[in-house]
Amino acid sequence: MKLTRHIIIAMLLLLCGIVAYAQQSNLIAAKDELVLLIDLRSSKPNLFNVLTRAGVQGSNNTQVLKGNFSSLYNAGWKLKAKQKYVLQFTKPITVNTDRVPAKPYLITMSVKQTEGRPGYPANVAYGVNKFSRVTVWELPTGVTRFFLPGNAKARKVQLSGSFNSWTTSKGMMTKTDSGWISDIKLRPGIYAYKFIINGHWIHDTNNALSEHDGHSGFNSIYYRYNYTFKLQGETSASRVTVAGSFNKWNAGEIPLTKKSDYWQASLYLHDGMVLYRFNVDGRWVADPANPTKIKDDKGNTNSVIKLGEIATFQLNGYDDARKVCVAGSFNNWKPDNLYLKRVNDTWVSPLILTPGNYGYKFIVDGKWITDPANTCYQVEGGETNSFVAVKPNHTFRLRGYNNARTVRVTGTFNNWNEDQYIMGRKGDEWVMSMKLPEGKVLYKYIVDGNWMLDPGNKLWEPNEHNTGNSIIWVDGNN
Amino acid sequence: MASCLQANAHKVKVGGAEIDVLYYEPDPDPETYGDFKTLVVPIKRAGNLLIVEAKIDSLTGNFVLDTGAPHLVLNATYFRDMPRISDHQSGGINGEVANTFKTEVTGFSILDLSYRRLRADVTDLSAIENGRNIKIFGLLGTRMFSKFAITVDIFQNVLYIHKLDETGAIPAAEQVYHDPYLKTSFKLMNDVIFLKGNINSTHDMWFAFDTGAEINLMDYRKSKKLAEKMEILSTSKLTGVGNNPSLQIIYARFDNLLVGDRVFMKNRVMLTNLDNMGKAYGHSVDGILGYDFFMRGIFTVNFVKKEFEMYTYKL
Repeated sequence: MKLTRHIIIAMLLLLCGIVAYAQQSNLIAAKDELVLLIDLRSSKPNLFNVLTRAGVQGSNNTQVLKGNFSSLYNAGWKLKAKQKYVLQFTKPITVNTDRVPAKPYLITMSVKQTEGRPGYPANVAYGVNKFSRVTVWELPTGVTRFFLPGNAKARKVQLSGSFNSWTTSKGMMTKTDSGWISDIKLRPGIYAYKFIINGHWIHDTNNALSEHDGHSGFNSIYYRYNYTFKLQGETSASRVTVAGSFNKWNAGEIPLTKKSDYWQASLYLHDGMVLYRFNVDGRWVADPANPTKIKDDKGNTNSVIKLGEIATFQLNGYDDARKVCVAGSFNNWKPDNLYLKRVNDTWVSPLILTPGNYGYKFIVDGKWITDPANTCYQVEGGETNSFVAVKPNHTFRLRGYNNARTVRVTGTFNNWNEDQYIMGRKGDEWVMSMKLPEGKVLYKYIVDGNWMLDPGNKLWEPNEHNTGNSIIWVDGNN
Repeated sequence: MASCLQANAHKVKVGGAEIDVLYYEPDPDPETYGDFKTLVVPIKRAGNLLIVEAKIDSLTGNFVLDTGAPHLVLNATYFRDMPRISDHQSGGINGEVANTFKTEVTGFSILDLSYRRLRADVTDLSAIENGRNIKIFGLLGTRMFSKFAITVDIFQNVLYIHKLDETGAIPAAEQVYHDPYLKTSFKLMNDVIFLKGNINSTHDMWFAFDTGAEINLMDYRKSKKLAEKMEILSTSKLTGVGNNPSLQIIYARFDNLLVGDRVFMKNRVMLTNLDNMGKAYGHSVDGILGYDFFMRGIFTVNFVKKEFEMYTYKL
């Protein structure tokens, strides 16, 4: 009895201590143990914060407040003591016995993985440049000229950006009497860049568009344009702007410049379908020069443009068919939506599609068939469809293996889904052209179920199965 | 980042403390040439790594400036076919460093600084590429700068490679920064920089200074008493690192880190087991000072005078 009383007093003292300490810190290390204190009166954000710090994952963390501690138990915590509102959990410190790798970076890399590709801006729906003095422009030849005014005394000036892998050893600019120039061939899109003057980074001070470089500076942003809006006439108007689905119909954002008898504005527009209208002194008008128009829910007439690549779908034969359609991931597999026309001896339909990878099928008089002229397939939800890549940036090739029944390719681009992509046979090789994400791509071929490295690619790295993965680096500007 | 070496254990006394030193085959200082007094090299950043472009034969690529590596290390992905001087299963501690071999590189340059001949390790660096989504050719280790001083301006992202005068100092006219906030000597052992530090005026510690370490690391057993006074920021489990099923991560913050004659506050550190890293560095190591330490200021490492300086100080 006496002993029990002592224990109770000791427990009370301990808990009083815990409560006092809980005010300052709720996660401490003591005697080879981590000690976690949870106050059941804390707000949900506070509790969430504490649990996150304690390495407790899970969406049902609020269950802790209701006395369900399973998420804590799953993370290795044990309930040690409990006062009315304060719970004490402990967990042994095991770092002594952990088999820590010999290279610090193996740990530090894994603690925080880089998201996206720093320095390579994500694509956007549209973009308009903003210069205080124009330092980047397109030459009549189509190449883009970058200009750094002045700096006549500089020994070396370089242009470095997302278009040249942020080179620091190449990208030399040429000196002119007014500054430094460099001409680069760019595809339409968004680019980040800086100048390097005598080894020192500097952003383009004449360019008002920039993004934080993730450290202590800024990268300048340039949009290589691909579209010009033009409105004929309206010469007596004082202000004309264009707005559309790409900029959430913001009428105040993109003004057109008045030329002799028309207005115009150039910009970068991402591939896809764009609805737009002009705003002439506050009055909305559809584009009179564009015959393609769509009425929206509110009765407005919008002009339509489709930007992208032309993909021609073609089906030979089927002379007697009454109706041939194509359906795919590009139109949400709607069957009676995209009709092929009979031209000479084939059924054809040119479609403008956003660059990407698509599964598709033809529908001949209601019957779904894969494309008989295409031996590349994509398996989706157990269904085998024909496969096409619009504006592919890589072609996988495997020479030989004439007797193989199926050759598949899989990798980081499809989360190693081994069933998804079936390569086609062309001449003496298996091929598949694809649109891959930029950056590093790991992949392997699967020949009749056997995984293998790409024998035509020298680059590979070890993997957890000790069999290696082939590597390619996909460059956005290629 | 520690690289790997084949080594034999040995004990030496340094500043009263006994340190396990592992010796490896001596490698002559690399012979360099280049017409410059101070080479200004732009740095690229990938996460908290410092990336410098260099040219090997005709190929230009990204290298991590890594004072935790004793010499040049090449990524096996791109340099697997280099001639092998001697194979060795280096490290081999957990099997994550399989098939490292030594090679000799002729025709290596960092802008105007050229190396006639360099010894290099070829090993798998895919973890860096995959963690940072950047193509990495290799690591630039300390031996490459053994005749120079280097200054890293972490704020402007510039690396200065200084040629030194006959006294081993940066010529006065070539000094970019003046009046260091911190100046201290260091021990260069097996080409790894060791700075002596102290925490809370009670615990003397030897820290490897590793520009390739994105987080400060400290050996838990050697800092157990300190850990009880540290603010534990978080704990979590790391899975699938090398061949390890899972690692416990303990992130902490502490004040009163003395390096040289300066005190650093609000230091973030990961408490872990540094046994294997000690083997990789060629020494027992109490801790590793990485990004959280060197991001505090512009720093100079003079490899001839064995002096470390830091200019400005950011908390």
